[in-house]
Amino acid sequence: MTAPNVLIVEDDPALRTLVMRSLQQNGFNVRPAGSAPEMWNIMSELPVDVVVLDIMLPGTNGLDLCRQIRQKSDVPIIFVSAKSAEVDRVVGLELGADDYLTKPFDTRELIARIRAILRRGRMDRQHEGGGRREAHFDGWTVNFPRREVTSPTSAVVDLTGAEFDLLSSFIDNPQRVIARERLIELSRTRLGDSSDRSVDVLISRLRRKLSHKGGKAPIVTVRGIGYMFSAEVERV
Amino acid sequence: MHPSIGLLGRVLAIVLLTILIEFCASTILYDRASKLRVREDEVHRVAEHLSGASRVMIQRPPAERPAIAARLSSKNFTVRWVPTLPPAPPMSADLTVMRDQITHWEPVLAQHDLRLYLKEPGRGGLVTGSLQLADDSWITFKAPQLVDEGKFRFTWIVMMVVVALGLSLIAGLMVRSTLRPVRKLAQAAARIGHGERQEPIEETGGVEVRELVHAFNEMQARIHSLINDRVEALAAVGHDLRTPLARLQLRAEGIGDEGLRQEIGNDVMEMSAMVSSLLAYLGGEDDPEKQQPVDVAIMTATLVDEIADDGGRAEYEGIDHYDALVRPVGFKRAIRNLIENASKYGESVFVSGREDERGVTLSIADDGPGIAEDRLQDALRPFVRLDAARGRNTKGLGLGLAIAARAIEREGGTLRLSNRPEGGLLAEVFLPSPSIQT
Repeated sequence: MTAPNVLIVEDDPALRTLVMRSLQQNGFNVRPAGSAPEMWNIMSELPVDVVVLDIMLPGTNGLDLCRQIRQKSDVPIIFVSAKSAEVDRVVGLELGADDYLTKPFDTRELIARIRAILRRGRMDRQHEGGGRREAHFDGWTVNFPRREVTSPTSAVVDLTGAEFDLLSSFIDNPQRVIARERLIELSRTRLGDSSDRSVDVLISRLRRKLSHKGGKAPIVTVRGIGYMFSAEVERV
Repeated sequence: MHPSIGLLGRVLAIVLLTILIEFCASTILYDRASKLRVREDEVHRVAEHLSGASRVMIQRPPAERPAIAARLSSKNFTVRWVPTLPPAPPMSADLTVMRDQITHWEPVLAQHDLRLYLKEPGRGGLVTGSLQLADDSWITFKAPQLVDEGKFRFTWIVMMVVVALGLSLIAGLMVRSTLRPVRKLAQAAARIGHGERQEPIEETGGVEVRELVHAFNEMQARIHSLINDRVEALAAVGHDLRTPLARLQLRAEGIGDEGLRQEIGNDVMEMSAMVSSLLAYLGGEDDPEKQQPVDVAIMTATLVDEIADDGGRAEYEGIDHYDALVRPVGFKRAIRNLIENASKYGESVFVSGREDERGVTLSIADDGPGIAEDRLQDALRPFVRLDAARGRNTKGLGLGLAIAARAIEREGGTLRLSNRPEGGLLAEVFLPSPSIQT
């Protein structure tokens, strides 16, 4: 496998160099860009696997840039921002960014996110679920870009990262028995929020959080094998 | 600003107006009071009696007249005959009216020099009078029931009191409306500095009041822009600090000494947390986030789960679901601050949620050292760090609880801190149920 091409768009030269160097040390092929025009040049020259995009660029707003990239390609985008406001994060993800990092961050975190996105990109292509945005089951709505779950009473239901990933794995495989080991594996594809909690603890939490008005969560235990998501899933 | 009489002018005008009304009212009333209320039927009876008596008397010799007079007298009307009468004082004006009524009823009496006097005014209104006969001798008489003076006095007092009360009321209302802008000003002044942006007060009222309101509005605008400038500058610094922090973090990774690298990493994290809380605090005021239904019970449980996943000791018990209308990010930050605070100062965190008809209460308790009773209120103020009381950890800017308190207040809820009897701090977040919230 050839080294993935990572495009870094960052206006602070020192930070750009630092990020570039640490990514190169970890086996990535890095192309730096200090502005939007430079970014477009590089993107037209070679195939880019991931764009690491600073939201606050001189002249252009990173959010607009993200929208423009999305119109042309579905290359994975990781936002990097000095703003940590949750609202910005949500807007960025809505516009089609794949992940969001707040300054300051360390190399380990950045690399983990890049690897997770690359792996997910390949998996999505395998499953042909590349454009998944929303799923519905039993009156519940799961919004993937915002990583947000809403209950049948249209209230926001907050899940931990690991719980959301577990729910995503279930939604990808509805009405199929999934072995515990496979669930652990699937849940690990998204890093960043990884936890050492056993799948069983996560399942019991998810059941409690997805119950509603006496209705039980649609997660069935299949003794000796694993679990099954019993609800019908409709994707949008 | 159109010209207006001043505050002094207004008060003077009110006083003048009330005095004027009072003057008119009492003049009219006094005028009516001095006109005795004459009972007309009695007047007619007296007139007939008198004309009868004068006719009978003149036909009898003077010696018989006293006896006849006695016979003509009754309980309500006494007649006496006298040969001469001492010169009498002039008649009072009200009684001329009565005399005119009498002579109008019995025109004969007009030739007899009829005189009337009011005796012992105030005691039932005894009217006495005299009548000259053709031979220059006189008939005197007493008619006790001609006028109702006493009754009239009482009404007069009542009416004066009513007028006085009415006037006080009018004057009070007018003074109040004159002073209304001043009261508005006082209320606005009391609100200033409590965070939320204020609309300028309407400039109405007297010249002095208008000038005051105008000056106040300008002061308010100046204060607001002053604070705004500071906030923007501070926020800009906060944002700008993050890029060098990111550089520092990445540079530190090149340090060979593992311990030093760790320490620098921790410093960067601490500084970054301070910047975040500062930005959260500064941004809280004009946070554009909209309210939406959120299951706050699950939100709280999830925050507890996250602490537990990070290796902390935290548990949640209580209601599984409670939908409330809140700003999700702001409210979650508030609850997270409280839970993180608890896990920072205590070994274990106990979080519970309970619901009643008034709303939902989320309680976050720890087994740490708690806060000295006299500093519980200070703990909610920004930039206050209770280092002496809470000892070991002095990280951060002291904004966590202030951010939490403000975010909870924005949702119409309350945050209450207290020390648990068994030790540790208890933070109780109460959100009123949507039906109570307006």
